[in-house]
Amino acid sequence: MRISRSAACLAVAIAAVCLSGLSGCTKADGASQTSLTVTGSTTVLPIAEVAAEDFQTANPGKRVLVAGVGSSAGIESVANGTSDIGTSSRDLKPEELTLGLVDTKIALDAIAVIVNPSNPVTGLTKAQVSDIFQGKIKNWKEVGGPDLEIGLVNRDEASGTREAFSKFVLGKADFDPTAAVLPGTGQVRSVVAQAAGAVGYISLGFVDSTVKALDVDGIPANEKTVADGTYPLWRNLHFFTKGEPKGLVKAYIDYVLSDEIQNTIVRDAGFLPITAGGK
Amino acid sequence: MQSRERMDKRITNGVALGVIWLAAVATVAALGTILVYVIVNGIGQLTPAFIFGWPHGVNMEGGIWPTIQATLYVTALAMLITTPIAVLAAVYLAEYAVQGRLVSTIRFAADSLASVPSIVMGLFGLALFVEGIGMGFSVIAAALALSFLLLPIIVRTTEEAIRAVPKYIRWGSYGLGASKWQTVSRIVLPSAMPRITTGVILAAGRAAGETAVVIYTMGTMINAPVSPLDPGRTMPVHLMLMAQEGINMPAAYGTALLLVLMVLGFNLTARYIGRRNRRMQG
Amino acid sequence: MADNKQAQAPEPDVTPYASDSSLSTISKATYFKEAALRNLFLLCACVAVAGVGLIFLFVGLKGWPIFEKVGVWQFLTGATWYPTKGSFGILPLIVNSLLAMAGALVLGAPLAIGTAVFLSEVASPRLRELVRPAVELLAGIPSVVYGFFGLVLLRPIIARLFGGLGFGLFTVWLILAVMILPTIAALTEDALRSVPEGIREASYAMGATKWQTIWRVLLPAAKIGIIDAIILGMGRAIGETMAVVMVAGNARVIPDGIFKPFLTLTTVIVMDMPYASGDHRTALFGVAIILFIISMLFVASIRVISRFGKEMG
Repeated sequence: MRISRSAACLAVAIAAVCLSGLSGCTKADGASQTSLTVTGSTTVLPIAEVAAEDFQTANPGKRVLVAGVGSSAGIESVANGTSDIGTSSRDLKPEELTLGLVDTKIALDAIAVIVNPSNPVTGLTKAQVSDIFQGKIKNWKEVGGPDLEIGLVNRDEASGTREAFSKFVLGKADFDPTAAVLPGTGQVRSVVAQAAGAVGYISLGFVDSTVKALDVDGIPANEKTVADGTYPLWRNLHFFTKGEPKGLVKAYIDYVLSDEIQNTIVRDAGFLPITAGGK
Repeated sequence: MQSRERMDKRITNGVALGVIWLAAVATVAALGTILVYVIVNGIGQLTPAFIFGWPHGVNMEGGIWPTIQATLYVTALAMLITTPIAVLAAVYLAEYAVQGRLVSTIRFAADSLASVPSIVMGLFGLALFVEGIGMGFSVIAAALALSFLLLPIIVRTTEEAIRAVPKYIRWGSYGLGASKWQTVSRIVLPSAMPRITTGVILAAGRAAGETAVVIYTMGTMINAPVSPLDPGRTMPVHLMLMAQEGINMPAAYGTALLLVLMVLGFNLTARYIGRRNRRMQG
Repeated sequence: MADNKQAQAPEPDVTPYASDSSLSTISKATYFKEAALRNLFLLCACVAVAGVGLIFLFVGLKGWPIFEKVGVWQFLTGATWYPTKGSFGILPLIVNSLLAMAGALVLGAPLAIGTAVFLSEVASPRLRELVRPAVELLAGIPSVVYGFFGLVLLRPIIARLFGGLGFGLFTVWLILAVMILPTIAALTEDALRSVPEGIREASYAMGATKWQTIWRVLLPAAKIGIIDAIILGMGRAIGETMAVVMVAGNARVIPDGIFKPFLTLTTVIVMDMPYASGDHRTALFGVAIILFIISMLFVASIRVISRFGKEMG
């Protein structure tokens, strides 16, 4: 139970985020810095925010202001100096490579295709997954399963997971518009866990015994296959800085990369520690 | 022949009354199911740590105190804003108004306001208070939007309360030479006060449970608001977000139970005041 | 519970004693004070009118650009809602909202009227003390709690019983029916209570059973009030958001079954608003103003029916 002091820190941090938002107080300067701004991906936001809160508790007097505005906006704002760290759930685009940004990967995000444990299907090819989520395949018997209608579960359009899944699996194609659209990972998981014909996708870190993760193209979905890169549906989460990180920025990034944070906050958010490997 | 008709009548009567009983039972059963389910699943969460603690971590473990504070704050502020206006409006409609175009329009407007979908009210609050006037996500923006929602409710209950004051009391007052305002303020309103209070408290319960209005005017940030310009996340909003995210379901159940208890509290208090009043009036 | 009662107000007990009577001996100061107070109260009453106007103004203004861009007709009748690809037709949403409302009514209205009849005609005073608070409590439960309940308890049960995911019209009907029940029941009970006692006595005196009295005498007599109640319930059903969004499944199409996910006028706003920008956001305000107009149409129709009913005597 934490009240009063850490609550005050949290309140101050969050109030400051709310008031200053993108405006970013200080530029990356080095050792004399007492506050830093972190903006970018809403997927990375949970890690950045909670790590910021704990960092501030551990380093009184230092402030870390976090905002979630989207990967592109985050990259832009660190490139033009408005913020110290730009977080991103995607790699740099070709035109962004010349901005002089240094990439520090801080976590792995792997997406698992999940089905109900009672479903005898154990794996699908990526093409089959794509067809199912486009609505072209409507019954499990078409992919070697029982004669059961497929209950398609999608995420909302604001979801970073949906965006990633779409990029990995669908490419340019659209999701089946008759799919159920659910606004949260936990909901997707519990719906798939309770409906025999359901299929959905969630971050690998959130897969538990209530659902079954399918093999994709023959590769099972687990930490090892993500770490050695064989599992196809994964991406890095990035902290971008202008030039090498120094001073307070480096301290914060090191903090996020520390074993303790990697194994608590990163996993709590459903991701895998970057130390698990990955390219 | 006649006795068969009588039998048919009686059979139909029995069956129909049975169906009516069934309807009533189904209603009470629906309430019971919801309450029991929320209580059973949420009761484990009601520890001091949950009620007075703060949420922390990615999945909002811990407590929900800031949401409780936010809920109470915005409800109190909304009632403060809307009650005087609504009561005076009801006084007008009950004591001064003469049937006519203006009164018809007012009533139509009040009824329209009462049936506005709350999400429309939320967008209205966003458009006018948050963005238009520039208050940003704040308690005051939410309170103002809520007060439009609550206004017709309180007007209606207050008007009925005023009308329920017997005529002879007014006659007596006028007979003594009192002016209209003296009569209203010293005789009618005090007499109607318990009923008015009941209506106000019930409206407060409605305000506390509102989600769609609050989410677009107060935001979703975890914060224990201090100034009316502070944003915050109320309990209904927190419940919705926890349920949607789906990861921390115990917190969702706990919030649901606390919310239901709060509304129940409002309800029972209002009922208690009403019963005391009825007993006093003999 | 009478806070939804249609305000068919009788003439207020306006005693002109203190302000108009030539026999009055009040001073000029008091007269002006009285007039000022009267105007203050009038101002307060007009806040309601101001409110409606402001809602129209601000929501309408924010939504207007989409009507300009797409055309009101195209917006209302377009069959595809796919804002990220530039399609802004809300016809599927309108149809879905109507479907949700209709089913909720079919389920909820008979239940509500039955409960009201129970409270007004059948129940003993002690039973009444038990059931009426139950109805009032049902009215007080926040809609988000209803949605939550539907999500965690109803949905899995329906998925297990009927297959599919458990989202869809059927689940929404169940939840909405329980939500509009208190509204319809309270008003129906009021309507039944205002039928004069003498009519009941006459009916019994002629040898009618209780049910015959209810069905052939009382319900027809209370017809206008009951219709009002139902229309109010309709308005509530079509305007409900939080409870629906958690159990509807939110697919932006007209569902091809009652266990298939769907999106309504209200749920589209709450689903899309967090990330909508530009035309998409404007379109959502457009949907909001349509919802507002629909709800005002319901209110207006109640007035029309009441006036019509009164003329019929």
